[in-house]
Amino acid sequence: MNARFDELKNIGQRLIRPQTPAIAVGMGTCGIGNGADQLFEAFRTTIAERNLDIQLRQVGCLGYCADEPLVNIYFPGKPLLVLHKVVKRDVTAIFKGIEKGTLPKRLVLCKISKWDHLSTVVEYGEGYPDIPEWNEVPFFKRQMKLIMRDAGLIDPSSISEYIAVGGYAALLKAVRTMTPEAVVEEVKDAKLRGRGGAGFSTGIKWELLRKAPGEKKYIICNADEGDPGAYMNRNEIESDPHMLIEGMMIGAYAMGAQEGIIYIRAEYPLAVERLTNAVKQATELGLIGSVIPGSDFSFTLSVVKGAGAFVCGEETSLMSSIEGYAGRARPRPPFPAQKGYLGCPTNINNVETWCNVPVVIGKGSAWYKATGTEKSPGTKVFSLVGKVKNTGLVELPLGEPLSTLVYEIGGGAAGKEKRIKAVQSGGPSGGCIPADKFSTPVDYESLAEIGAIMGSGGMVVLDQDNCMVDTARYFIEFTKNESCGKCVPCREGLAQELELLDKVVNGKATQEELTLMESLANSIGDTALCGFGQTAPNPVLTTLKYFRNEYEEHILRQHCSAGVCEALFDALCVNSCPMHMNIPAYLELLKENRLEEAFESTIRDNPLPGTIGRICHFHCQMRCRRETVDTPVHQGEIHRYLADTIYKMGSEQKIYETLMTEKKPATGKKVAIVGAGPAGLAAAFYLVRLGHDVIVYDANPKAGGVLRYGIPAYRLPREVLDKELELYKALGVKFRFNKRLGTDIHLEYLEKEFDAVFLAIGAYEHMDLPIPGTEYKGVIQGTVLLDTLERKSRVSVGKKAVIIGGGNVAIDAARSLWRVGTDVTVVYRRSRDAMPANKLEIEEAVAEGINFEFFTAPLSIKADAKGKVIALEVMEMTGGTFDTSGRRKPIETGKTRDIACDNVIIATGERVDSGLLEREKIVTTKWGTVCVEPYRYKTNRERVYAAGDMVSGPSTAAEAMGLAREAASFIDFELMGVKRFDQLFKTFDYSHEPPTEIVMTKQIEPRHLSVASRRGNFQEINRGYMGDQARLEATRCLRCDIRLSARG
Amino acid sequence: MAEGYVNVTIDSRQISVQKGTTILNACRAAGVNVPTLCHLDDVSTNASCGICVVEVKGAKRLLRSCTYSVWPDMEVYTNTERVRKARKTNLELLLANHPLDCLNCDRNQNCELQSLAYELGVRQTRFPRTKTAEIPLDISSPALIRDPNKCILCGRCVAVCAEVQTVHAIDFTGRGLSSKVTTFLDKGLGNVACTNCGQCALVCPTGAIIEKSDVEAVWKDIANPDLITIVQTAPAIRVGIGEAMGMDYGALVTGQMVAGLRRLGFSKVFDTQFAADLTIIEEGHEFIKRLSTGGTLPMITSCSPGWIKFIEHFYPEQLDHLSTCKSPQQMFGAVAKTFYAEKLNIDPRKLRVVSIMPCTAKKYEAGRSEMDGAFKYWKEKLDLCDEERFADVDYALTTRELARMFKEVGINFAQLPEEPFDNPLGTSTGAAVIFGATGGVMEAALRTVYEVLTGTSLEQVDFKDVRGMEGIKEAEVTINGTPVKVAVAHTLSNARKVLEEIKNGKSPYAFIEVMTCPGGCLGGGGQPIPTTWEIRKKRAESIYQEDINLGIRKSHENPEIKALYDEFLGQPLGLKSHHLLHTRYTPRGII
Repeated sequence: MNARFDELKNIGQRLIRPQTPAIAVGMGTCGIGNGADQLFEAFRTTIAERNLDIQLRQVGCLGYCADEPLVNIYFPGKPLLVLHKVVKRDVTAIFKGIEKGTLPKRLVLCKISKWDHLSTVVEYGEGYPDIPEWNEVPFFKRQMKLIMRDAGLIDPSSISEYIAVGGYAALLKAVRTMTPEAVVEEVKDAKLRGRGGAGFSTGIKWELLRKAPGEKKYIICNADEGDPGAYMNRNEIESDPHMLIEGMMIGAYAMGAQEGIIYIRAEYPLAVERLTNAVKQATELGLIGSVIPGSDFSFTLSVVKGAGAFVCGEETSLMSSIEGYAGRARPRPPFPAQKGYLGCPTNINNVETWCNVPVVIGKGSAWYKATGTEKSPGTKVFSLVGKVKNTGLVELPLGEPLSTLVYEIGGGAAGKEKRIKAVQSGGPSGGCIPADKFSTPVDYESLAEIGAIMGSGGMVVLDQDNCMVDTARYFIEFTKNESCGKCVPCREGLAQELELLDKVVNGKATQEELTLMESLANSIGDTALCGFGQTAPNPVLTTLKYFRNEYEEHILRQHCSAGVCEALFDALCVNSCPMHMNIPAYLELLKENRLEEAFESTIRDNPLPGTIGRICHFHCQMRCRRETVDTPVHQGEIHRYLADTIYKMGSEQKIYETLMTEKKPATGKKVAIVGAGPAGLAAAFYLVRLGHDVIVYDANPKAGGVLRYGIPAYRLPREVLDKELELYKALGVKFRFNKRLGTDIHLEYLEKEFDAVFLAIGAYEHMDLPIPGTEYKGVIQGTVLLDTLERKSRVSVGKKAVIIGGGNVAIDAARSLWRVGTDVTVVYRRSRDAMPANKLEIEEAVAEGINFEFFTAPLSIKADAKGKVIALEVMEMTGGTFDTSGRRKPIETGKTRDIACDNVIIATGERVDSGLLEREKIVTTKWGTVCVEPYRYKTNRERVYAAGDMVSGPSTAAEAMGLAREAASFIDFELMGVKRFDQLFKTFDYSHEPPTEIVMTKQIEPRHLSVASRRGNFQEINRGYMGDQARLEATRCLRCDIRLSARG
Repeated sequence: MAEGYVNVTIDSRQISVQKGTTILNACRAAGVNVPTLCHLDDVSTNASCGICVVEVKGAKRLLRSCTYSVWPDMEVYTNTERVRKARKTNLELLLANHPLDCLNCDRNQNCELQSLAYELGVRQTRFPRTKTAEIPLDISSPALIRDPNKCILCGRCVAVCAEVQTVHAIDFTGRGLSSKVTTFLDKGLGNVACTNCGQCALVCPTGAIIEKSDVEAVWKDIANPDLITIVQTAPAIRVGIGEAMGMDYGALVTGQMVAGLRRLGFSKVFDTQFAADLTIIEEGHEFIKRLSTGGTLPMITSCSPGWIKFIEHFYPEQLDHLSTCKSPQQMFGAVAKTFYAEKLNIDPRKLRVVSIMPCTAKKYEAGRSEMDGAFKYWKEKLDLCDEERFADVDYALTTRELARMFKEVGINFAQLPEEPFDNPLGTSTGAAVIFGATGGVMEAALRTVYEVLTGTSLEQVDFKDVRGMEGIKEAEVTINGTPVKVAVAHTLSNARKVLEEIKNGKSPYAFIEVMTCPGGCLGGGGQPIPTTWEIRKKRAESIYQEDINLGIRKSHENPEIKALYDEFLGQPLGLKSHHLLHTRYTPRGII
């Protein structure tokens, strides 16, 4: 065997670094799924037809699934080039490139100058200075290839290539130079832990079998990978099957087992094929089935295809399955090491655990422990899937934070404007980890601490479009169906859990049932027979722990914010709109040319349609189904158009009259509303129409709140707001201006005089910026600046202003100052992408020529002797690692400089005036917002309700109005004892035929004022739609609100 | 502390138990009865119900006390809120899908699920039913009815069938909520290799497996003035029926039983033990014949109908080893409908023979097509046509069915006087009563065979080697200077072992007794529930007590048997015996 071994090694080395140019195609199941097989065939035929002296091989997968198919190109003596996203039509260009010696830039992902296979290093060569080295690519940068040491570089069907990169050396070392006990000791010392998920010490497990009495002992490899979204074991076997065999053989030697079985998913045909082939090769070479020369060790290995049940991944069920019985768990004890397969002592390890073994033995435990953490050394391969840009197999040292995995390697959220919400780790047995816990290191203990498990390594990234209740439901449905049915808690409990979750997603559950769900989940976990059942409730438990609000939302509001639970909404846009405006209705009415009715529909849902149509964040567009065709429908622009047109025509009076006539008879109930901003106005509109006597108090001289005193006129002309406020007067809402809560009026008084008090004072206090110099003359708060501009139409600033911040106030302040002729610079400590401001506003600001300095953090404000601002001292920053918000943490570079200026505008965020609340004896949360009963908006004070920014923290006007609308509904119910709110709305009769053809037009842009004409005035930039534009835009709606059932 | 013992604390009470003791048994030793629905000593540790969970200090989850053994200084808590809640939840989960029609259930008031719900204080379940479809009843068997809807999937029946009996007639199929216990391809118990032993019914905690009842038919026949309905009672009934009537385990109630049966309206109350003595005469002579003429040895007893069906299914090539003797039940039927009918001049077509058996397989046995010796006897004499065929035994009721009849008519069992059996088929010997215990047939046979062969009287009639609950017992008797090795096996797994020995040519025995059920007939599938080893032993004690009580202890000394031969049969193994008392067997497949 020894001579043959060396011979194969030479053959392998020549295959890996041939004397001719070489092409290698990544042919894992993932690559083949993306067309790698066709690509391989195209390469093959061209080489054959043109009789080219080019070597063609298949290799495994490098792990970068998002960029498949991957192709390696090698010129003798040069670095290996990795091409990505290669398609069949690139073949010609690649051959041309090979001829010329340079490849199309677009295709080249990176180069590999040398590769450490751990047992040997392959030096490909030097060159290609312009091409990044593989470990400079963000996806690979933080990875450590221990398990995937050969993946994507050697041909998995070739034992010679495996031997050439040092394969089987560890086995020979073990059986020839080490005692079995020494091998066990080495594994124990390496602190290798079970990679199947539970993380039990492999060495101790081995020792148990080693010491177990019994003639015949078995080892088993669990390759029954079944977690949804997990496929690392598949790739490990497909890319490097000999690695697994070598690991098992070392294990068998150490434990004194004579026979091994690999139990592999039958659904992995390619892995089965490559593994079977590898066993055959190792047998032919004399490694398996014969005594290995230089030792007295012999071993047989067989491959058993799984029976297709998920539970067969559980070790006792797995053994039942191999024995030919149904996959049903057996009680433990006895543990497999005592009584396992066929009643003999047995060891079961996961694929990846076995694959670690050659490295541990080859490199030694000391080397191995240098990677990972103290308690969890080594790496773990994760399959990173879901809503991230870069999906694929990622091998990371244990202990790296989740944020590295999700943001740095995964590249963050896949969708524009999407926010990553959670990671589902460890499959159905795992848990959902919320984004704010992404600083958690990925190791066994840390994940367990937050209720999740590492599991096999599946990491499914979820964003705000994933409903956590639905996610939990998905997994429970899965586990319910996969339960073997043996023990009561798992069989019956999961079915009941699913029943309860079904109620939640259908909006039919009660809070008592939520409690029941939780206690049942705990009970299942506490009493299920095997690991499957014990962990099956984890998705429920972790989502309840971290996303209880989503459950409550489904239960108390019958609403699914993510827009997933179909029973709870008709159209995604309506569901996303904080005010639940019936968007399909007004679009269709517009299409049918029923303008007045369309307007009436909008105003019933939203009392400020012209205003909000201008300044909304357009939540509706973020979930418009039209986006799957091209771009979302601009629903907001249309309701603005409706409002503008109706006001222009003067037809609103008729609709106002309708609203006045249908006003409910006076109830005799008095409601005080504090705050005439969006929330206060929304509540007033509904409460007055319900017949209540509504008085609105506000500290300002006019109504509108932030709409008037925060949003610049170029975005919202004041005449629009004033026009819309006319309706309030008509409806009989009474305003008391210049009355500030806590100063002019007090809750005690309001409570006495009114039947209900609704607080809607918003979040207007600015955050403190903890730098020296904020007291100097010329330092202005952003909100104060905007407010002053509104009150006095002018503001006294110097020639040059620096604005600190990245939110909407910063942008509004910058653009306002730019309009009055000031030279403006915005400094922000992170990147432009990380700015929380509205993207469109940033674009406009950039278009207007406003200067931005990113990665610039304020250090201090400098002033002259008179205390007048002269400069802002800043520190230049750079992007560090990702924080839990998914943005790079700004890190100081140490480089400071001064930005000369006359004014510093601080716009670093707003908060609720919690001091005032405290004085008025309103209980607040730890974030300083008002503490209210979920979805009932009741504060700690009897008859005092609150909604809007003071409850939610700074958010959008539409969101504040949406909350206020709900609060109004609840206040009316509390006052009257009956549900009357729905009577304020009207169902319009319009077509419910879905469009037969899709009008192929992208979103229509309304006219805009040119940049040139913006300076020196506050004229509105957006001029709105023309009639034809509005109608055409409306026809773009796909009418996804219509539910059709297929007849058959 | 004694070697091999460990100290454990159970609910703050320290006790010392043997190493390897399960937590469950340690708790029992400490006086805490941890409830369980699936665990059954010596039958199954399926660990499926999740009721026996306890809290153990240091363990993350609750542990199943049935599977974990104690470790030194283990601290066990059986009464914490966590434990109580978990038990209740799991019970509620079971109840959610259980048909709560207790009033109509065979096992009402003798149901572990029902009792546990009462004991744990579960008065309603918080969960709705999640199973939608009703599963049809399996009524294909002549002996047993399975109602999968009442099944809680505890696995006891599967375990007893597979491990105690090695029959594997039933197993789990399906996954998750669709899991059920069923037969091969859902064919039904009547259509697969089921021995009808009824051990599954005996261990079932609920009413999911019960015997197929003939009570109503028997009532109807008793009430029919045109019919003469007589009854025979197997040996094991007199030590079992008392339990079902609320008396102590193993209560010996021969006389009350006879009195009770009379009160039910049976014309005559006879004793299967009479036929047991008859069996010994026939079987003993058969054995002597085989021994002296070089017939197939070892000869194996044939009284236990579950065993008969077992060998027919699994070892048909060894059927020659079986004694050709019918079982006592069948011998009684054949004699009653011939000898007795003739003697009393009763039209055999109007005579109904009801047997009370500790056994469910007896129902099947009574229905076997070849069990119509009396009909064949009368066929020519009375010119009967085939349509008029009647069986030797009309109904075989279990002990439990008899108890139901007693209860239905309000018989206060404890107050009944002791009454004797009727004659001529009511006299029996001590040799006959021990048929009810494992080893009894062998012992009875040896008493007769020895005396017949040696011509001398046995001084010591007790063959203690063949008594007791050990799975396979053996003994050696020297007859006329020749040692004869005999063996006794109970349960079919042990029967399988002796058959394998025969198959491999390694059986050293001349004569083997096989009983289907653990402990023999006293532990039969038709006996009162519960039947545990402790209870079996009590019943056996009563059996051996009755052996002594009866005075005559050898079958060949039974005067009525002598009369039967003199008046009717002629001699053992004679022509009449051949037709009426012997039978043949049918090879069957394993499905």
